[in-house]
This record gives sequence, structure tokens and C-alpha cells, in this order.
Amino acid sequence: MPNNEDYIVKVPTINDIHDQMLIKYFEDEVGRKAIILCSSFPFVFIGVIIEVIDDYVVVDVETTSISQLEDRDWYIHIHDIEVFYIEDGEGPRIPELRDGD
Amino acid sequence: MKRCYHVVAIPIRIVLNHFGDYNPNGMMYVLKENECKVKELVEKHPFSPVDLVQPLVIRANEGDEVEILFENQLPFATGMNFQEADYDVQTSDGANVGFNENTLVDCGEQTLYQITAYHQGVYFFSDLGNPASSDQGSNINGLFGALFVQSRGSSWTDPITGGCIESGMYADIHHPFLPSFREYAWIFHDEMPTVDLTGNKPLDPVTNQERESTHAINYRYEPLENRKKLIDEGVVCPDCDGEEVHHDSWVFGDPASPILRGYVGDPATIRIVHGGVKETHAFHYHVHQWFDDPTNQDSEIFDSQAISPQTWYDIKPFYGLGSLQGAIGDAIIHCHLYPHFAVGMWGMNRIFDTLQDGSQCYPNGERIDALQPLPDRPRPPSPTKKRPGFPNFIPGKVGCKAPRPPLGIVGGRGLTELEKNAAVRNPRPGAVFADPCAVADAPVVKEFNISVIQLPLIYNRQGWNDPKGRIFVKDEDIEDICAGRKEPEPLIIHMTAGTCIRINFTNRLPHVADGDVFQLVTRTYEVGMHIHFVKFDVLVNDGANVGWNYDSSVLPGETIRYEYFADVELKAWFFHDHLFANYHQQHGLFGSGVVHPRFTKLLDSCSGKEVDSGAQVTATQPLIPDYRDLTLMVHDFALIYDQDGCPLNPPEYPSSPDDPGLFGVNYKCEPLQFRLNSPECDPAYSFSSFVNGDPVTPILHCYKGDSLRIRLLQGAQEESHSFNIHGLRWKTERPDVESRFDSQQHIAISESFTFETYAKNSGDYLWTFETEEDLWNGLWGLIRAYDEKVDFLIPLQDRDPPPKRTQPLPECTGCPPAPPSVIESAAPSNAPLKRFEIVAFQIPILYSHFGERDPFGIVFALEKDMNDILKGYKDPEPLIIRANVGDEVEVHLTSFLNFNQFPFLDGIWPYPPVKEQAFYPPSVRISLHPQLIDYDIKTSSGETVGFNPDQTAGPNETVTYRWYVDNPVGTCGMWDMTDIRNHRSLGTYGAFIAEPKGTKYYDPYTLQPVNSGAQVIVVNPLLPVTREFVLIMYDGARLVDKSKQLIVDPVDGILLLDEIDEDLVDTYDNGSRGFNYRTERLINRYTKRAVLKDLFSSNVHGDPSTPLLEAYKGDPITIRLLNPSERRRAHGFHLHGHYWNSDDTDLSSQIRSFSPGIVTGFTADLPLHYGAGSFYNLSGDYMYRSGNIRWDLEQGIWGIMRVYDAIQAHLPPLEK
Repeated sequence: MPNNEDYIVKVPTINDIHDQMLIKYFEDEVGRKAIILCSSFPFVFIGVIIEVIDDYVVVDVETTSISQLEDRDWYIHIHDIEVFYIEDGEGPRIPELRDGD
Repeated sequence: MKRCYHVVAIPIRIVLNHFGDYNPNGMMYVLKENECKVKELVEKHPFSPVDLVQPLVIRANEGDEVEILFENQLPFATGMNFQEADYDVQTSDGANVGFNENTLVDCGEQTLYQITAYHQGVYFFSDLGNPASSDQGSNINGLFGALFVQSRGSSWTDPITGGCIESGMYADIHHPFLPSFREYAWIFHDEMPTVDLTGNKPLDPVTNQERESTHAINYRYEPLENRKKLIDEGVVCPDCDGEEVHHDSWVFGDPASPILRGYVGDPATIRIVHGGVKETHAFHYHVHQWFDDPTNQDSEIFDSQAISPQTWYDIKPFYGLGSLQGAIGDAIIHCHLYPHFAVGMWGMNRIFDTLQDGSQCYPNGERIDALQPLPDRPRPPSPTKKRPGFPNFIPGKVGCKAPRPPLGIVGGRGLTELEKNAAVRNPRPGAVFADPCAVADAPVVKEFNISVIQLPLIYNRQGWNDPKGRIFVKDEDIEDICAGRKEPEPLIIHMTAGTCIRINFTNRLPHVADGDVFQLVTRTYEVGMHIHFVKFDVLVNDGANVGWNYDSSVLPGETIRYEYFADVELKAWFFHDHLFANYHQQHGLFGSGVVHPRFTKLLDSCSGKEVDSGAQVTATQPLIPDYRDLTLMVHDFALIYDQDGCPLNPPEYPSSPDDPGLFGVNYKCEPLQFRLNSPECDPAYSFSSFVNGDPVTPILHCYKGDSLRIRLLQGAQEESHSFNIHGLRWKTERPDVESRFDSQQHIAISESFTFETYAKNSGDYLWTFETEEDLWNGLWGLIRAYDEKVDFLIPLQDRDPPPKRTQPLPECTGCPPAPPSVIESAAPSNAPLKRFEIVAFQIPILYSHFGERDPFGIVFALEKDMNDILKGYKDPEPLIIRANVGDEVEVHLTSFLNFNQFPFLDGIWPYPPVKEQAFYPPSVRISLHPQLIDYDIKTSSGETVGFNPDQTAGPNETVTYRWYVDNPVGTCGMWDMTDIRNHRSLGTYGAFIAEPKGTKYYDPYTLQPVNSGAQVIVVNPLLPVTREFVLIMYDGARLVDKSKQLIVDPVDGILLLDEIDEDLVDTYDNGSRGFNYRTERLINRYTKRAVLKDLFSSNVHGDPSTPLLEAYKGDPITIRLLNPSERRRAHGFHLHGHYWNSDDTDLSSQIRSFSPGIVTGFTADLPLHYGAGSFYNLSGDYMYRSGNIRWDLEQGIWGIMRVYDAIQAHLPPLEK
């Protein structure tokens, strides 16, 4: 028989902790360049992290999938991010992508 | 809400255009309140089109009940059969099917049909009381219409007056929460019997022969031949030839065919309906694009789309009228099948930029009807003297050809004052009245210098050639191509998304094209480059001459500058000439651009150097996997000669519209008649490179594991084709991972598809245009995946380099290859194994109760059933086997074919015929090729292709295949690939059904477990117990009647045929047809009892010979539908009273009650919504059938799904 303690939700949950760590990670990387992939349009963002507001990361996007959406700040919901990489000076640099190069 | 309409079926004279072409025996549905008026108007205006003479379009909202009081005034029983609707088949089927009550209406009688509209879309309705395909049939004469079902809460108004309307082709649709939109009905129909003003069959003024049959829209058409007569008589434009001004309103005024009017930016829906009887048309709409499936925003983007008889789709152009760039002007809409286009199957979308209140006129003085602005859109500005709006700022002269565009032609003119006032801020060549490249800030500009030239094209090693090939080329390649240093191929240019494309386009063609056996002398003095998909200013940059636009073509020796914007990654975009396409498109004048993802670099696959053109390139991109890119452009009507200068399949007379010439793919063909080099001339090795060398047709080179993008387009001219890749598959909707897998695609001219896939294994993959006549005449090639490095192919940069070569590349030996030493399996080692012992043998097949039979049938069967079949204890039927996801399938196939039992031992197969008949002796070998499932192409594809080992079995030999069911792909065709000429018509096909994991199959009558059969109950612990019906729609069968006389279908099966026109059918129309080796030709029933209304009645004739699908009301039903047979004429499929998702794997896909475009290789899985009896679970007989009145229904492509409400002794119910 399960006892009542099995049904008690402990706060923060493991998901809360995971989410909070992600937010903190982005907060720590403000000012660095990131490549971010999301499952929704326009799917890819490359640019410098400006700030983190609640669970949104603000990115000065220099490259995305279509040019009309570039050179502007994007507010990206951190929990919608599927994959990201942030330049830290040690790993590989994110390539500069320019039309016609 | 209940809506009531009183509809009357009446005889009516239909005048199809202002030249007085008419159908004296037309028939139409009309609302009762308009009946007297329309009859009166027609009597008063016997030689002019009457607006009220139009296909009936009525409207309702989702969820509405619609009551139709139907009255018949035609001299035979008629009805209204609704697609998509829910209704009681006993009262409202509008037909007389099976044991149902007869719901047709005799002359002078009435009945009440009650239907419910539970989903949005087009509820096509037509008559089934007179299904004759001849001139006396009802559908061919116009007895069709549509109910348009809108979002719940919609209302509609007249676009001219703003008042309420009860019916009509055009309406403005309004909704409390949704944007208002323009709704246009665009109802294609074909073959309507037509005479000219004198009562005679219309003639072509050039050939003085009968012109092409009627291809119309909404009972209207505007043939080139009529307009040309005005030129020939000197009435208009004496310096013109004809085709180049066919669509020019400056010369002729507006056409009688539909003009869909709106303001720039207006949201719109064009409801495309095919009410015709025969042809699969290709709808093309200049300037605009739309989703394949408007309910699925991940579906493919189209701007040209095929449509089969009695099917429909909705077009919702992106960004509204004028598209993203806000193009104003006339955007032509047409069937892209060129002979149909020429004979008048076209109209326009007229996009105004100023308010039309009814006080304005066109340049020729014709009044412009008022057009109410949509209430939620900004009101367009009123026209002024300085800014009169389109078309009144264009400096044209009525009666003369449209003017050339300002700025575009090198050395040409500038802008007039009125043009300046109408122009964009920064007018420049190709972008004067809309600026597509302004969408992006400073986009990359890519410039191409392109010319059109004439040169001989050599199609194959046997010297088949087109001495007057006409092609697009880059200027820098002209010298190399003309000198023979570079092989001519369709021009494929490449660019990335976000590119502003500039073209300097030069006409280097001769002024006059010589006459020959195919074509009369034609003054093809103008040419243009009309583009699809990309964004452009339609007034000056269409590469065409349409309506009140400019003529944006160019004269010989001149250069015109075009500009387009590729705003996003696109499929390949088609380009072609729009001025004299009927003369020279089939000579090769077509090409394509490919818009790749941003940041892609295109490399020569051999040298690795960066390129911007080529049919086969390698793409490298930093964010997505690199890929190989191959563009295939198929075309028919290729006007070619053999090496001795003899024309191949010449027409009866030059410039005849009857399908001349042969076929090409990228200007090449590899006919099978030349691939009999094996010691015994065995067709089983026709595709073998060991025996016959590699084909001259394109071979895509790649390494094992490479990503591939195949771009498929059709460049010319009229016919459907069926593209297949053996051993590879792709997602139907490329952007949508939820869409189903396919390995086949129907294509019509101007359509474009991209297939993303990858070469899982090394070996040679066969791509085909699979219908018999295409394949026979050489439309096939290879995808060659290497397992080791070759020095003529760079590796993809983001993949590990291929291993160094250890084995020499194989070479042609002239000898058949050996079978594989080991049959590689794609399955994991612990996969459950299913074995099938299959035999192929010859046996007569009885096709119907009327004694029609194939005395030379070849069937696949399980070995255990062979004796029973041979002894007559069991009827032959197509072999249908099943396995589940996760299963490994091991097939042992044994041939028992006997050469002497083939019908034509001399190697000449006379019927059903193909173009370019030649010796091709029967093969006694056999094979079994499956679609969609996984296997090693080198050992288990069921065909001997390229440098793969032999995968066929000779007499008394057994070949083994190992297949792996890695995915629940449902219906897969299976067919023999050893001899497409001598086998397929005799029945060498079947089906493989890939079921979900854990499924068990039971006989529906005995409930015993089975492992084959067309009808089973499928039981899966996670899914509803379901009745599964497999319907194999076949064509091209060769049958004899009970007197052993050859049945020459379709002609022998045509009802009410007065006279036989020798040119009535094309080669690919021939052959008998039906489902699952059965047919129910109506001519037999009519001969027995000459009552049209009883033709589908089981009370009168008993049940048809075709499969009877039996179920209890509410039973879950899945229909597995496929066509593994051979003819090129596309079919449709419809099941009365039921509907399903158009993609069974995608719940958001559109709901429809039909499947379109059925040709060789087609597969579909149709889980019926709500099961047997549909929403109301009502019992009765539901007809399944083709939508082609001409020539499917009469010829036997129909049957019955019987839904019982009470338990039947012979049919156990499904266990809950």
C-alpha cells in the first residue's frame, strides 16, 4: 500500500531545479555569443545574449533563418530551447554567416 | 441551421464564349427561382453567353442541415449525388446503387434530399442517373455543381452589389471573428460536346482540322483558334501571329472565361473543382502560392497543382491577392496542360489598386463592374486623372499588341507621366509597379545572363534526336554547348533564400520555326521567361502577355531584364516560355531554379568548385546536413526522330493536337527496346548495367549514407506521369514530420516537388516514371551509392570520408550478373521472422460474371494455394500479404512461367498498345519488388538493376528476398520488374500491408487466422478491431469476352456511343480496368437491360463482380487503396457517404471523401471517419468508384460497400 507521503509534492521539484539552473546558466553568460535552436519558427538564432528577464533570454540576433528577422532583439522562452551553445573563449567559435559569402 | 434549396435539372443551350461556340444539348442544375429567367435569357440570346448559365454553386455553414427539393426536367432519371456529406443512403444518395431505395428522380418528378455538412470544403454534386461517357451522358454536358461549406457563423454577399445572394460562382464571405474574403468557384470541366456558330465542329484555322476537344471553366472557354481568326481576317493586330497574343486584352478585349476580381491584398479562396469526366488537369495561378493542405501549415507550398475528375481543393493564396509584393495587374490562371490552355482553359485574377464603383471603363470602353471593398479592409483610393489605377495608366493601344514594359528592354523606353505616378519609389528594370526585393534590407543580388537558343538535341546512343531543340542556357555556356564540349541539359540555376535575382534574358531564336512532319511553320518571333514561385511584378516581369498587362517578352536579338525575389527556401521553381509554348516547349524550352537554405554553397560534385547551375550539384550548409541535389525534368510530346531521320510517333498531320512524339527526362531517354543484350534477349536484364551498360539518363552519384534532395518537375506538355524511386522513401509533406511516407508521386506539367531522403545502403537505386509507356520509352535512371571512394565524386564535407577503394568499379560484361552470395537483411538479428513461399504461374483469370476473362493470366500466390487455384477450387486473386512493424520478412519466390503460355510469342505485344512498338520477347523470369519497406537494394529489391546482382527467378528457380518492416507504412504495392511489357497486363502485381506491431489478422467470414487476402479483420491490443479492405485499382488488362473476342476497352464499353472516332482514345487509355482482378463493365448490364437508371442496381442486375465489402454499421474500416498496374491516365477514387483524413498519419490533414491522382505506384490508407455508415452509422449500399466518368465508371471501376444493421449468418460481427 502506498502511504500518503508518496503523494506529497516536494517544492522545488526536480523540474523546477532544472529550469532554474538553465536560467542561471544564461544569466551567467550575458554578453557572450550563442547559437540557439528551437522547434518553432524561425528555428535558429545566433547573437549576443543581452539579458535574462524571468525565464526569457534576450538575444541581439544577428543571424536567423530569414534575413527579415535579423538585427533585432528576440525574447526567447528558455524552456523552448532545444539545443544551445555559448561561446566561452575555449570551445570553437560560432561561425559568422553572411549571405553571398 | 437548416437551409433549403429547390434545385431543378434542366436542358439548356450553353454558349461557351463570345464567338458563339455552344453545346446545344447542355444540362445544368439551377435554383427554381432562376429557372424561368435563365430559359428566357437563353432564348433571347442564343449566340451569347448568358451569365445565369453557370454551374450551380450554393452555400452553407459547417454543421448546417441542407434540404434540397430536387426536380428533374431532363428526359431521363437524374439525381444529385453529394460528396463529403453525411446522409441516409436510402433517401439522399442521388443514385440507385445495390439494394438501396432508388433516389434518382424520373422526368417531371421531385424528391427531397437531406444532407448534413459536418466539415468545411467543397461538396461536389453530380448526376449518376446517366453515367455514359459519350456525348449523351449527363456529366459531360454540364450536370454538376457544388455546395461550398463555410466556417460556422459565416454569411455571404454579392461582390458587385453587396446584397445577399442565394447562389453564384463568386461571393464575399464574412464572419464575426475571421477576416472577410473573396470566394471564387473555379470549376474545370472537359470534353463537353461543342459546335461553332454554324453548328459544325469547330476547326483549327491553321490546320483546317477539328480543334482540340473542349476544356472549359464554369461553362466558358476562350480558344486560341477563335481569336486567331480575328488576326487572320485583319480585324485586329495584323502583325501578330496568334499564340503570343492569345491572352492579350489589348488586342481582343477580355475573354469570356472567368475573371476573378479583387483589390490588392484581399484575402481570397479559390475553390478548385473538377466537374469534368476525363483529364487530370494542372491548375496554375501566376504570382501566387498556397499550402497543399490549407488545414496544415506544415504542408508543402504549391503554385501549380494537378486535379483529377470529381475531386477538389481550396486555394488560399499567401498574403492575399498580389502576394507578398503587392503585385497589381492580371494574374492568369490556367490549366498548364498546354493543349488545354491553347483551346481555352484559362481565365484571370484581376487585381485592382483603385476603387471600382461601376463608373470606370477599361481602355476599350467596356464598363468595369463595381466591386465592393471587403468591409474589414482599407478602402482602396478612388481613381483620379493622374492616378487612374490599373489598367488605365498603361500606354496601350486597343486592337494592337500590349505595349512593352518601361525600363525592362535594354535600349528601350522610360516611363510616361502616368506610369511614373503609378510606379514604386525606386522603379528599375523588372520592378516598376511592385518592388519584391524591397521585402528585405539590402538583399544579396545574384545576376544570371540567360539566352534561348536552338540546337540539335541527341536523346540516346541510338541517335534519337530533336534537330530543332530549343533550350535555355547561360550565356557563358553557349559556346561550349554549341561546340559539343558541354552536354545540353535543362538549365537549373541555384541561389539561396533571401536573394534578389536579376536575369538578363536574350532571345537568340530564329524568327521563324520551319515546318516539318510534327508542326507547321510558325512565326515564333517572341520569347519570354515566365517564372513560378518567386516574387515579382506581374505587370512588367511575368515573361508573358496577359490581360491588360504589358507584354514582357522580347524580340529576337533583344535583351530584357527581369528581377525576382526568393524570399524563403523553396522547392525548385519552374520557368518556361509563355509566348509560343505550344510550339516549342516540347522542344526542351524549360528550366528550373532551386532556392536553397541561406548560407548554402553549391559545389560541382566532381571538382568541388563552387557553381551556380547544373542538374546535379553538391550542397554544403553550416546548420543542416550537406546534401546531393538532383533535378529531374520529365517531358512528353518530345518531337524526335531516329538516327535515319524518321519521325518517332508522328501525328496524323502536322500540328495535330493528338499526342505526338515520345518522352524525355533531362533531354535523354533509354528505351527498353534497345536493352535486350543478354544472350537470350531476356527483358529481365533490361535495367542491368552489367548486360546493357549504364543508361544515358541521369545517374545521381552519392556515397552510402548521403542525404539526397530530388527535385522533380515536368517541363512539357500534356500528360500525367508517375515518378517512383525503388528502395527509397520520403515524407509526403516535406516540412511535416507527421506526414506519411511515399515512394511515388503523380506529376503534371509545371508541378514541382522536392523529395528529401538518403541512400541508406550502397548499390544502384532505380528511379522510374513507372507507367508502362513511359518506362518502355526510356524514362528511368539510377541513383548510385558508392561504398568506397571514387575519384569523380567529392565526399560531403560534414560526413566521415568514404573508405579508400579496394575493389575496382564494376563494368559492363554483356552477361547477366550472378545472384547475390548473401542476402543482407536490414532487420535486427532478434526480429521475428515471417516466411512467405510465393509462386508465380500462368492461369486463366475470370474477371466478371459476364464471362470476361484473361486466358493468359499470371498470378502470384502462396505456394500452399497453388494447387487449389490450378484445380479451380480457389479463385485467383492478387496476392496480398501482411507483416507487422518489427518483423523480418523472408520471401522465397519461384517461377513456374512457361514461355509457350504467353499470348504473343513473337515478342510484339499489340494490345494494350504503347507508342513506339518494338520487339520485346516474353521473359520467363519473375521478380517481386515492394514499395516503402526497408531492404538492401543490392539483394532484395526484386529487380536486376544497374550493377546490382540478379534478383529474379527463372523457371523452377527460387529467389530469396529479405525485407524489414521498420515502420507502419500501411499499403505497399508489389509488382514484377522482369518484363513490363509481357507481364503486367496479365496481373503480375499484389500488395504488402505493413501493419502496426502486435497486429493479428483473421478471415472476416471464418474468423480463422490468415496471412494473406484482400479482406481481413485486424486485431491489435492497442487499436480498435477493424475490418481491412484492400482495393487494388488496376488498368491495362487484356481481356476477352465469353466468345473469346478481344475486348478493346475503353471503346467497347462506352454507353450510348453514336459513332466511333478513331482518335477518341490515346494509347494509355487502352485496356480493361477494375479492382482486384475483377470488373463490372456497365455495357454488359445495359445490353441485358437498356435502362440507364438501373445500371448500378443489385435488385435488377445482382451484385457486381467487383469486391463486395461487407460490414456492420459502426464497424471501424480501413481501406487500403493502391494502383500497381500500368497506364498513364490518372484515376480518382470516391466512396459514397464517407470521408477520411487526406493523410492517415496526420490528424490535422484535410478531410475528404476522395483520393486523387491514382497512377502506377499510388498507395493510400483510408481509415473511414466514424466507421461503416459514417457519422449516422446507417446501413445500406455505399458505392466506391472512380471519379472518371470517361472511361472508368462504365469500364468497371466501381463496387459496393454493404453496411448491415442486422446480424448476417455469413458475417460474424466484430468482437468488442
